[in-house]
Amino acid sequence: MDSKKKVLLIDDDKDFLMATKLILEKGGYEVFLAEDGKSGVEMAKSVNPNLAIVDMMMETWSEGFNVVSKLRTSETGKQIPLIMLSAVDLQGPYQSFEPPEDLPTVDLVLHKPIKADDLLRYVGQLVG
Amino acid sequence: MEQGFPSQILIIDDEESILDGCRQALEKSGYSVITSSDGAEGVKLAREKKPEIAFIDLKMPNCSGMDIIELVSRDMPDIVLIVITGYASIVSAVEAMKKGAYDYLPKPFTPDQLRAVTKRGIEHRQLKIEADSLREEKERMEKNFITFVSHEMRSPLVTIQQYIESLKLIAGDILTGDAADIISRCEKRIQNLQDLVEHWLDISRIENGTFSQAKVPLDLTEILEHSMDEMNPLCQRREIILEADHKAELPKILGDHESLLRVFTNIIGNATKYTPAGGRITVRTDCDDYYVYVRIEDTGQGIPQDKLPFIFEPFFRVHGKQERQKGSGLGLTFSKKIMDAHNGYIEAASQEGAGTAFTLKFPRLYEL
Repeated sequence: MDSKKKVLLIDDDKDFLMATKLILEKGGYEVFLAEDGKSGVEMAKSVNPNLAIVDMMMETWSEGFNVVSKLRTSETGKQIPLIMLSAVDLQGPYQSFEPPEDLPTVDLVLHKPIKADDLLRYVGQLVG
Repeated sequence: MEQGFPSQILIIDDEESILDGCRQALEKSGYSVITSSDGAEGVKLAREKKPEIAFIDLKMPNCSGMDIIELVSRDMPDIVLIVITGYASIVSAVEAMKKGAYDYLPKPFTPDQLRAVTKRGIEHRQLKIEADSLREEKERMEKNFITFVSHEMRSPLVTIQQYIESLKLIAGDILTGDAADIISRCEKRIQNLQDLVEHWLDISRIENGTFSQAKVPLDLTEILEHSMDEMNPLCQRREIILEADHKAELPKILGDHESLLRVFTNIIGNATKYTPAGGRITVRTDCDDYYVYVRIEDTGQGIPQDKLPFIFEPFFRVHGKQERQKGSGLGLTFSKKIMDAHNGYIEAASQEGAGTAFTLKFPRLYEL
């Protein structure tokens, strides 16, 4: 019996969640959705995902940044690969030349929209 | 009167009789009055008490009223300054108004004249404060509007694109022929709309000063090569020759790499749109003692002389409504604004049926 790898998606845009979920499910993943940072962090504890994808800009432009910090300091979030999503040319800390030192590390930053095959390829590489 | 307090009026004059007269006339009308017969002390008083209006005598024995006006209007931009002057010195009253005084009161004056000038001064001050706060509010709204647009207009576009991606993945097998064609047309139109939003945002940012540009010494040849690499596949598809003729050891300029790359790509992109198959786009660089030149020439359909002056205007289309919507309509506007920000120039010359040449001129950088 093959157990599917679990991916947690955190984004405040329901439609974006749905569109991305469809792609990941087609790619053979079990997908969990959270519409805000707080429930995303909670859900990470309960579902133990193999990977989390977090949108940078939710309630505030850097909410995703807080979520990543919380995930990285939690038991479950410490180990798993994280992907940060950002809208085109968002001038967030990940784009600046000298990132602040306390920036929590993510494994990959992707720009929205993401090509379906790119997304599946990157996720595949990260969850192994 | 503001906040229920009586308006405070400061009077600086070396004649005690004037001070007394003004005090009586103004206090009778409900103003609070402070006075000083000495210039330096008067300035100190203005700083401490922050009166709404100050009357300043231009001719005092120990100091110049003109200096006081300059000092006070610089320190306290909201204060209304009124010059007290003799009839013989109207010229200096005008000079004082240039330095920031709002009005003048010629000696001798009656209490009614004093009160009339005071009333007008207070109204002026209130209007000025209101206008300032409206202007600040307007600036704040403009900034918020840009943020709003960037989020509220981009997100639905991004989401639609993501849905199309998922649709192609989950239904790719059944989306054939016309259906596949419809999807790809949708994608193109969405991409155009996204370009429009991005260009519009860039221009708004340039206009309100939040467009970030890092100016460093740059080799334009390198950026042009990069831009040509980006445009080459498109040119090959359209069977257009894209070639370069660079001056060896082109001097550097001071600029922002990213925005200049977009300017070049924009102009080469434009050239590809109006150049027929078999045509040619040539990118040349040159310099003289003052400027570095980039010239982008095409053998396309050209621009009529009477349209040339308008091509940098937003949404201007050379061929009017007949022209298929080929771009955002803001590419050249963006390019011109970026060139302005580089203290450069962009000019177009064209001959209908023969081609168009864009010349971009950058101040040459002399490195010490």
